[in-house]
Amino acid sequence: MHTDLSHYKEILIKGIWRENPVAYQVLGICSALAVTVKMSTAVVMSIALSLVAAFSGLIISSLRHWIPSNIRIIVELTVIASLVIVTDQILKAYLYDISKQLSIFVGLIITNCIILGRAEAFAMANNPADSFVDGLANGLGYSMILLAVAFLRELLGSGQFFGFSVIPQFLYDMGFQDMGIMVLAPGAFFIIGLLVWLKNSLPGVSHEKK
Amino acid sequence: MSDNKKSFKKSRIYVVFFALVIALVFSVLITTAATMLKPLQQQNMALDKKTNLLEAAGLVPEDRKPSPEEIKQIYDTHIREVHVDPRGQILETPAGNSLQLYLIHTDQQVQGYIVPISSRGLWGKIHGYLAFEQDGQTVAGFSVYSHSETPGLGGEIESNWFQDNFKGKKILNASNQLVSVGIAKGKVENLPDKLQDHYVDGISGATLTGRYLSEGLEETLTKYETVSIIFRQKKGSQTHVETILDE
Repeated sequence: MHTDLSHYKEILIKGIWRENPVAYQVLGICSALAVTVKMSTAVVMSIALSLVAAFSGLIISSLRHWIPSNIRIIVELTVIASLVIVTDQILKAYLYDISKQLSIFVGLIITNCIILGRAEAFAMANNPADSFVDGLANGLGYSMILLAVAFLRELLGSGQFFGFSVIPQFLYDMGFQDMGIMVLAPGAFFIIGLLVWLKNSLPGVSHEKK
Repeated sequence: MSDNKKSFKKSRIYVVFFALVIALVFSVLITTAATMLKPLQQQNMALDKKTNLLEAAGLVPEDRKPSPEEIKQIYDTHIREVHVDPRGQILETPAGNSLQLYLIHTDQQVQGYIVPISSRGLWGKIHGYLAFEQDGQTVAGFSVYSHSETPGLGGEIESNWFQDNFKGKKILNASNQLVSVGIAKGKVENLPDKLQDHYVDGISGATLTGRYLSEGLEETLTKYETVSIIFRQKKGSQTHVETILDE
């Protein structure tokens, strides 16, 4: 009964939308500030984080009956750190330019609270398939916010989309200027704050009345 | 039986055993990935260094991304790596205190030279190249191939607008003294006229990166001053690549 598709759909919707890791659980904020200046870095970061979240969920959940509870956090971190290092190595081998831009932030996926949070809260208590879907869902939820923030910051901060200028020259001639604050961390704070507000004020998703 | 199993799972031996197995399995995984991907990564790094060297020299077509073969071919025809002693003489084999530099040449005639930069940054070392024209004082280009600055802030040192800034800057002032090139705080156009030739536009939000890079550039250029002097003395005259640094 618990293996039908609607069950996975439920987990997916919960991770991506209802309990979105950034907007609802307010996790993973630091990397959301750091890699969202440009779309290209945000996309790679999203993919890397979603994969690590999904596979760490899968592995930790498969081991959950054998992991001694007094060292479980260390074991979870070992799994996560190994996956991140492997991801970093793969990026360096096949996407060298992007891995140069992401630099330390790939390594910082290890400390991203979303992954350890899901490992601890979900993977330790659920079966591997569910945990995989849950990790993926949370990764996608994070990606959604990340891409929205990156889109707005790149557009408003540098007038570009994936590195192509999209703001027509005549607007600049009329006196339009790129917003310098969007390139800096405070710009991301404002946008994330506004997005959280927007999401929670949409009808049917407010958590305040619970 | 199941009671035995349960108590074993709670014993310290089991915890240690489990930790060891996990550590072993994952270190094997990481080592395998690192070893298998290493050749590809080194290839990428070597190519990236060459590309940056050529970018500093202005030899890379800007409108498209050249293929690895093209980079290698341009590098082989236009760049020669040499080691010189502190007096500026070319050495056959690099010695302890020798300086590394790259000569840019076309048909064996020297067009300029490139100095490798290794500077302190905010989070780690900044590595790059600074290319000079034949006169030994005009900057022909600048590029960065490795750094750990914050993406979007200090990381902008690898963007084109920042690097293009360096073109045409002078490292000598009006009385022919070495002043290096510095990264301004803000725009160059806000500086006094006589400084504008020696500064490039700064990056907003990355004041410290700019300051450290300015210091690093000055330090490197002071070290390479003897080489630059040789170029200044031979200014204008066409020089063969083999004889440029012989006096």
